[in-house]
Amino acid sequence: MTEAAKKLINLRINGKDISAPESLSVIQALWYAGYPRVKGVGCLQGVCGSCRVFVRRADSNEVSTELGCELLIEEGMDVSFLIYPIPPYQTYSLEEIPNSWEVQAKFHEIFPEAAQCRHCGGCTTTCPKDIDVEKGVELAVKGRFQEAGELFVQCVMCNLCQTACPELITPNHVALFSRRVTAYFHTRPSNLIHRLEKMRKGQLQVIE
Amino acid sequence: MTINIPYDEAIRRYRPLAERALPCTADPGEDLLQRYHPDYIADRCIQLTVGANAGDPCHRQLADVLQSDSRIDEADLAASPEVETDVLVIGGGGAGCSAALEAARAGARVILATKLRLGDSNTVMAEGGIQASIEKDDTPQMHYDDTVKGASGQIDRTLAAQMVTDGPDVIRWLIQQGMQFDLDQYGDLLTRRAGGTSAPRVLYFRDYTGLEMMRVLREAVFNSDVEVWDYCPAVELLSDQSGHCAGAVLSSLKDYTYSLVKAKSVIVATGGIGRLHLNGFPTSNHFGAVGDGLVLAYRLGAKLRDLDTFQYHPTGLAHPHHLGGTLITEGVRSAGAYLLNAASERFIDELRPRDHVAAAIIRECAEGRGVDAGHGQSGVWLDTPSIELRSPGIMEQRFPKLLHLGIKSGIDPRQQPMLIYPTLHYQNGGVIINRQGASTVPGLYCVGEVCGGVHGRNRLMGNSLLEIISFGRRAGTTAAKRVHGAGMRQKKVSLEHLRAFRRELMLAKMPLTQQSPLLFPEYAKFEKDSDYDGLRRNTRVADDG
Repeated sequence: MTEAAKKLINLRINGKDISAPESLSVIQALWYAGYPRVKGVGCLQGVCGSCRVFVRRADSNEVSTELGCELLIEEGMDVSFLIYPIPPYQTYSLEEIPNSWEVQAKFHEIFPEAAQCRHCGGCTTTCPKDIDVEKGVELAVKGRFQEAGELFVQCVMCNLCQTACPELITPNHVALFSRRVTAYFHTRPSNLIHRLEKMRKGQLQVIE
Repeated sequence: MTINIPYDEAIRRYRPLAERALPCTADPGEDLLQRYHPDYIADRCIQLTVGANAGDPCHRQLADVLQSDSRIDEADLAASPEVETDVLVIGGGGAGCSAALEAARAGARVILATKLRLGDSNTVMAEGGIQASIEKDDTPQMHYDDTVKGASGQIDRTLAAQMVTDGPDVIRWLIQQGMQFDLDQYGDLLTRRAGGTSAPRVLYFRDYTGLEMMRVLREAVFNSDVEVWDYCPAVELLSDQSGHCAGAVLSSLKDYTYSLVKAKSVIVATGGIGRLHLNGFPTSNHFGAVGDGLVLAYRLGAKLRDLDTFQYHPTGLAHPHHLGGTLITEGVRSAGAYLLNAASERFIDELRPRDHVAAAIIRECAEGRGVDAGHGQSGVWLDTPSIELRSPGIMEQRFPKLLHLGIKSGIDPRQQPMLIYPTLHYQNGGVIINRQGASTVPGLYCVGEVCGGVHGRNRLMGNSLLEIISFGRRAGTTAAKRVHGAGMRQKKVSLEHLRAFRRELMLAKMPLTQQSPLLFPEYAKFEKDSDYDGLRRNTRVADDG
């Protein structure tokens, strides 16, 4: 099938009026129309969180946030790419936390703003993966790190929640901290440790 | 031309069933690969005429970029700023991050340059898991034997042995960076089988193993002393008077400037070439996977291997069109999902090595037993409802990414099968390295998919995530040590090696019109003076665009 044979869709991306075949994603449509965007383009499969866009559909006042690679174009759609924010401003190293009793205190040192959450829900509304972001922050503030981390399995670190927060909390990094301390302090699989011991003793050599 | 069954008709015919027997007629036969695997398409290869691999077979499309002219010459660098570091890492995926972290931990000053953002890579998209022999009925020896057997010959045995031996410690290291894995009720690591494994050996985190790994490694790098340069692809390596690697020329997409980064060791971790769409296949690869590292290393004289063999992952999404090529993890087949043709019949043992399964799918479609998706793409069913029928809830629990993909495709994979077709997934060959990741050019290290030898001509599921961390750590540590070696005082750097390469190109009467590395796939239409956020239209595009 030739591209010309397909139905053309008219939409606006980054303020430019564009016509593109109906089976394309927003990013593909932008390229098709001759705009060589590479900034904010990543995996093209919805897992890297790079191509965040604002979308308003025809006859709707509602603006939603989505990923440009997953978004199929529609007639009359208005799309704007969002700027990817700077890397996180906290710095921490897991090795600095002496033991798991100290995690809660360290958390509040690293993320002092997390306890200031106003429960406005902006972070949850903006999440393109439908994560209950606000709840995750609340759990982390209470020191329930494993539970907080569990909510963020699908997080692609797109940072939209950070953009939405009036208290400048970085919920995705709060969640990643929660996940990391859980593994760092609590993942101690006996099958792995047993194997490492055997190998340390020089058993289980590989013969080529 | 073969006519396959239209999508709507085939989906009407499909009925979900928990069990389906494999017909005894499904024996793949001796010549399955030769007849149907894309590696065997006639005329797909040519002989390289220039460089360290002159005379070797190479895929046509890869040969085109390897035997191209540079994007720059000395004059472009006239007023470019110079920066010095100990170790320069090129590439921001799992291999690059683990190399950078270990080099920094060994005390080296490290710059990590990446074409897009840190973490934009194939690593983040890996789903199925990472192999490490940790179960009591498994051994590193069995892991090694499986890897060699699955490789269809031509494997570098030393590298394979090193990788499987590193396996358990790689998992420990990842946990120490804060990576989670799926655990049983007692906190032991869960394992599953993969195509070509003789024991359950794949460790995983849902079908998000790569995402979990990458977000943890990215956070670790941002919280380390590694200096990250994003949107800075390398366009050429630098050489010293002896032809050793001495740094790289980085091009900033933000302000169109070049920088010379002089480094005592360079680690290339740029990944593969899926976005060259070899043989016209869709790909599961990241946007930037166009083989930059192969080109850079080759021009500096590094020897490559196995440039004629690539892995086509059996299950790439074939419908809808805008998500075409998207990966569906082999874990779904490990969990027992069948592959069905348009008549809802199984046609191959789903857990045979990837090259066999891919070839069998291509055969079904070539012989008219496939499903026609309607946009020039055919495929077969991945029978996801069958595993949901056998273990209700498994999809939500183990394969959240697949469910999300279903939502975006308007298909519920618990009720309806997904249409799939092989997708260009992995570059089996690449730069020749030793156990420390050192290439044949002193000062140049290569790790990850850009390298060859570890997997021979076919890679098993879960061995690439293991490879990137195993050799990434090794190269990082070794590159950092080299910094303090004898004779490491900073030398004069240049593009002298380009002169020799250009002379060879001219003597071989190669056209000097094409330039590489490509940096981006052709359809992004990115040119030297393009605006990287694409707000300005390209001047060369016709107005009717």
